Amino acid sequence: MKDLKIAFLLEEFALQTPAQQLLDRFLIGYPRDGEFHKPEGMQVTAHLASGETNAELDRRVKDYGLVREQEAGAAAAQANALVIVPRGSGATANESLIRHALEKAPAGCCCFVYGALSNSLDAAKKVMELAAARKSRLCAGTSLPATWRLPDVDLQPGTPLPEALIVVHGTPPAAELDGLEGLWPVIERRRNGESGIQCVQFFKGDALWQTGRDRVWSWPLLAAAISRSDSPQGDPVKDGRTQNLAGLGLVPGLARDPRGWVLQHRDGLKSTILVLDGVIADYSFAVQAGDGTVTSAQLYRPPAPAQHQFSRLAAVLEDFYQTGKPPWPVERNVLIAGLLETFRDASLRAGERVETPALGIAYGR
Amino acid sequence: MNNMHSATHSNRSREMPFIPAAKQDRSRRQFLQALTRSAAAGVLLAGVAPAFASAQEKGPAGRKKVAILATEVRKMSHAQHFIDRFLEGYGWQGGHHFPPFELASLYVDQFPEGDLSRDRERRHGVKIYPTIAEALTLGGSKLAVDGVLIIGEHGKYPRNAKGQTLYPRYKFFKQVVKVFEESGRSAPVFNDKHLSTDWNEAVEMVEDSKRLGFAFLAGSSLPVTWRIPSLEVPLETPLEESVCVCYGGVDSYDFHGLETAQCMSERRAGGEAGVQSIHAVKGEKIWELLAARERTRRLLFAALARSHTCTAPPGYTCAMPNLDWIRRASPEAVAYFIEHLDGFKTTLFILNGLVQDFNYAGRVQETGKILSCQMYLPMPPTHTTLADFFNPLVNNIEKTILEGAAAYPVERTLLTSGMTLFAVESLFRGQVRLLTPELKVAYKPAAPSTYWRA
Repeated sequence: MKDLKIAFLLEEFALQTPAQQLLDRFLIGYPRDGEFHKPEGMQVTAHLASGETNAELDRRVKDYGLVREQEAGAAAAQANALVIVPRGSGATANESLIRHALEKAPAGCCCFVYGALSNSLDAAKKVMELAAARKSRLCAGTSLPATWRLPDVDLQPGTPLPEALIVVHGTPPAAELDGLEGLWPVIERRRNGESGIQCVQFFKGDALWQTGRDRVWSWPLLAAAISRSDSPQGDPVKDGRTQNLAGLGLVPGLARDPRGWVLQHRDGLKSTILVLDGVIADYSFAVQAGDGTVTSAQLYRPPAPAQHQFSRLAAVLEDFYQTGKPPWPVERNVLIAGLLETFRDASLRAGERVETPALGIAYGR
Repeated sequence: MNNMHSATHSNRSREMPFIPAAKQDRSRRQFLQALTRSAAAGVLLAGVAPAFASAQEKGPAGRKKVAILATEVRKMSHAQHFIDRFLEGYGWQGGHHFPPFELASLYVDQFPEGDLSRDRERRHGVKIYPTIAEALTLGGSKLAVDGVLIIGEHGKYPRNAKGQTLYPRYKFFKQVVKVFEESGRSAPVFNDKHLSTDWNEAVEMVEDSKRLGFAFLAGSSLPVTWRIPSLEVPLETPLEESVCVCYGGVDSYDFHGLETAQCMSERRAGGEAGVQSIHAVKGEKIWELLAARERTRRLLFAALARSHTCTAPPGYTCAMPNLDWIRRASPEAVAYFIEHLDGFKTTLFILNGLVQDFNYAGRVQETGKILSCQMYLPMPPTHTTLADFFNPLVNNIEKTILEGAAAYPVERTLLTSGMTLFAVESLFRGQVRLLTPELKVAYKPAAPSTYWRA
């Protein structure tokens, strides 16, 4: 096992933030594969961007020998593994912190960015180029690609895939990031891998339901995804009843400010992200293969405060740092950064077909 | 992960409709009226009717009829979970599944504030009968249903000196048997949770089912819910010890914990041999006994490592527990040390304050390999809105009624009922070890594993 010097470059540190969940797992340990696992020979350093006193970080200095570093560059320079965690959900990247860290980190360093890799396609490409120039390995993401699926399914590599859908909840852009992070690990395994995005359409309110009727996106896939939810809203909240929300036509009435994104991929795949607050309170996807079979699952997020989806992500990252092999192609993260940028623009042009020639990013072919 | 083809369903023959948002009708009866209105307006798509043909009011003719006998029906009571799954369907294998039955009758023993049975009667037309006999005969003189569910959990019932709640499961069951005998025919029966708080009654229930030749399914949802990870114990695995770490009360969730362990233990080489002794202890006595059992300690930590709720010290969220922390976090801990007749061991740890989930670890003889998983309960109201662990339980009840054979042996639940009530007895008598010659319940498990994985 390689001795790891891991530096956490953080914008915030508080209980139940991604920063705390990830840092503690490397500092203290976490359950992995049926046993409590403490990464061996690991030196953990933390830099808090605000530089302020932080009682929770100080507690970790006292209890577990966490090393605090005032300068981000100095922390990065001493590390062979980096974790960069922005504020909040991770949907808004701290681009200057990422660039600074990559510039200061030694060659060969493995760098993980929690959440979005950057806030635009151009910036994401530049970060990827900078990492390559520094001979660093880079990837980004949230816990959703790593968490358990109920049931435990995956797409057989090389499966022809005409249509995919994920239903999530939350505020923009965090919910959109969740939708992309939840769906991409599944769809990129399709035949010939990811082909890139040809165009994007945004719909909201009644127009979203009309496009469902018009088969712009798939009601059957939404029904399959909702069938995986353990948190349907409406009457189930009121009196505990099970209810066929999709089949009974209750979804439009329950949804608060519904919004959806339909992505046309260059190879013909159509993928849809629906943000349906008021309908469900968990994340589920459904994909339809070329032979018509539908695979669906809930992306299971264990309860707070432990939020053990971060144990799954920590295991993925520990393997990344030990092997030097990123868990997924950084091109996924570049594409997601570009999509989040496109979403910001397209949300102002609801219903329009927004061509995305710059998002023709193919990988995994 | 499984190959996707192991857990897929065909979508080709089934179209889901879009129903306009206006006037969202919540009950199925209202929905069917809406269906007619919308279809007349030319909104609905082809294939609508087949998608809802199994609804309670519009099911195919000749559907089997089911009666549910409940202690009480209020939000989140066990009976509400079962009744609503039969009336409204539930998420299953990537679709919304409607049980191919008509819920023909209810018997409800108590009507507390917040009762929902009247609402279900009004909305779905399922009649509440004043007696169990009438619920089973639909007001006639002979058995008129094809399956019976006894949901004797929740409600106000007396507790005895041992702390057992005297739910009327045996009493309900005997009234069912009386109708069967008087009708000259029987039907499959499901009994929710343990059979009885009295061993002789539990034995009598199983004997009645064999005497009259009806399928008898019983128990908890723990053996059939999701497992994280999706762990299958192959039949004839040379297991030598099982541990369950869980939470809850004595004569309550302890039964769920015992079912968690037993559905795995019974798959060991030779099958279940029965239980020869039970020793239930509390607090510090647990750790004194555990000091001499290194193997059990390892299994305790292996099971804890599958928990998603293990309490961490103040200022932290993710625990790396040691024995000292377990003792401090769960000062009122309870443990059942159980010895089986073939030398196999089961230990149940009820660690309130430390965990709020059900976790299993078992050790394979010779190799020392540890098999472990969490039996995951999507538990409302804090984490979900539905207690969907009832989905696979209802699905196994459906199979039992349709096939006329229990999806898994009732002897499992006879044994776990016995373990539960003798553990209660052990605590009542001052945490003494009890020999249990009564529990010579040997059986072989069902070959197909029945847990939720698709």
